[in-house]
Amino acid sequence: MSKHKISSDLLRGHTDTMILRLLSEADRYGYEMVKLIAERSGGEYELKEATMYSSVRRLEADGDIEWYWGDESQGGRRKYFRITEKGRVTYASNKSNWEYAKRVLDTLL
Amino acid sequence: MMNEKLTTYLNELFAPYDGIKSVGELKADLLSDLQERFRELKAEGKDDETAFAMTIDSIGDIEETVEEIANLSQSLERQVRINLRAMNLNESDFAGVALHKGKFKASALRGANFVGADLTGCSFATSDVREGNFDGANLTDCSFYATDLANASFHQSVLVRTDVNVSSLKGAKFIDTRLTDAELAKSDLRTATFENCTFHGVDFKYCDLRGIRFDEQIFSGVRFDRSTLKDVSFRGATLKNVSFRLPISVTNKSYNDFKTVCFDGAMMDKLTYAALKGLWVVDLSNVKVI
Repeated sequence: MSKHKISSDLLRGHTDTMILRLLSEADRYGYEMVKLIAERSGGEYELKEATMYSSVRRLEADGDIEWYWGDESQGGRRKYFRITEKGRVTYASNKSNWEYAKRVLDTLL
Repeated sequence: MMNEKLTTYLNELFAPYDGIKSVGELKADLLSDLQERFRELKAEGKDDETAFAMTIDSIGDIEETVEEIANLSQSLERQVRINLRAMNLNESDFAGVALHKGKFKASALRGANFVGADLTGCSFATSDVREGNFDGANLTDCSFYATDLANASFHQSVLVRTDVNVSSLKGAKFIDTRLTDAELAKSDLRTATFENCTFHGVDFKYCDLRGIRFDEQIFSGVRFDRSTLKDVSFRGATLKNVSFRLPISVTNKSYNDFKTVCFDGAMMDKLTYAALKGLWVVDLSNVKVI
């Protein structure tokens, strides 16, 4: 596990973009996002609750996402997050920055 | 029952941040997620202990997150940091101690007693030291940056190069205090008292000094630039090389405020006199130029 530590830090640096991606598909609640990240990475990357919420709060403060109360579920009301128009722009820009970095790194590494 | 255990766990984890709204919301969000994860792990057939441990493990580094979140709402910063260190030193007795470069940073020191203490180089930055008693204390090179010093007492204390920027000094008492090259910029000094003090090279830039009496006191190389000076009195004071640039204001407010400053019976050097005269608004008829 520890040999993946550095790559895990590298992944964590993209948490905001991962969350924007998930919310660009559909409105989602906190645990759902953590679970989807684990599923889609085939268990290779576990997004911690703390990391997820620090990213969510930052995105909220920046106006990239907002939240609303969903309907009652078995555990009570869930807080859903949705992406704003500004958030979609941020996502597109982060994504293209990453494509660029990936292309350059591929030629260098 | 396991739900209670989760709640208790989170309550303990968040206890230092009780009362901070944004952090309380995080706690509620987290609890809801953890309960769901725990239910799922149980449904997969995990026993209580394993499911609980896995659930707790999914939290990660919550301290860092809490600090970030609390800092997003900056006004709460002071409160959070105090709680963070959980150093409750309220009413503590430090009278007469010699403590150089001590770190009281971000501490709860309300009503603490520092009478006669030698606190050279200590840091009290972002602490709560309301009603603190620094009478006769040596505060050379201390930092009180962004510190709450409301109603603190500085009778006969020594402030050399002391950093008291961006702090609250509401109702603080400075009697027979020596201030040399101290910085009190951007601080709130409303209802503070100054009696029989000497001010050398002190920086009062951008301060709120409304209604303060500086009567009969000695100022040299002091900067009052851009401070609010409404109803401030320098009756019988001695001013040498003191600078009074007015706050930038689109209205006449700063001029009207400055008109209320009283220099009756003050003595000042030619430099200070000329600069004040250049502002046109202040009555210098009872000033003696030395």
